[in-house]
Amino acid sequence: MTMDITIPGIVLYIAFAFLMLAMVLTLYRLLKGPGFNDQIAAMDLLSSIIIGIILVYGMQIDNKMYFDISIIIALVSFIGTVAISTFIKKKND
Amino acid sequence: MTEIFISVLLLLGSFFILVAAIGMVRFKDLYGRLHASTKATSFGILLLLIGASMYFGDFQVYVKTLLIILFIYLTAPLAAHSITKSYKPAGKEGDEKDEKADL
Repeated sequence: MTMDITIPGIVLYIAFAFLMLAMVLTLYRLLKGPGFNDQIAAMDLLSSIIIGIILVYGMQIDNKMYFDISIIIALVSFIGTVAISTFIKKKND
Repeated sequence: MTEIFISVLLLLGSFFILVAAIGMVRFKDLYGRLHASTKATSFGILLLLIGASMYFGDFQVYVKTLLIILFIYLTAPLAAHSITKSYKPAGKEGDEKDEKADL
């Protein structure tokens, strides 16, 4: 409808900076996590951060196609998280 | 006016995701980490999606946004519950030996 909205570039850069800092902190937990469960939780958070990065990037280059990638990442990350944690639960018993 | 609203939504959404990541690093326990990462991340993604869909302003984009929001709010608690059920603390024997509370 209205494609003439222009977001200031500094807003997109600040959002990118927040998301990248969150990604670095989550990668620290993914590498140093004491157990498998902390690493799975970190991977779940990492997929959400990647959804955010893809949305902000799609706004920056003005392309609507990036919403589909967000749908696919949300589906696949949920299935992966449930599969790995079920595997660990079966292995613990 | 719309630009300011979308900008505030974007900054708040990314800030909430950053708060979730800080909680992921700073909490001592798995339960605390899941408490930080599940709720704040869902809310941050919600704000980012609303901002991005208002930026494009298309019917197709609104439908996709509604689908992603529904799916994330349905599956984030399920994933956290699944991670918690697979957790076996080091000091305990496991939750089979816990006695059930008489309610």
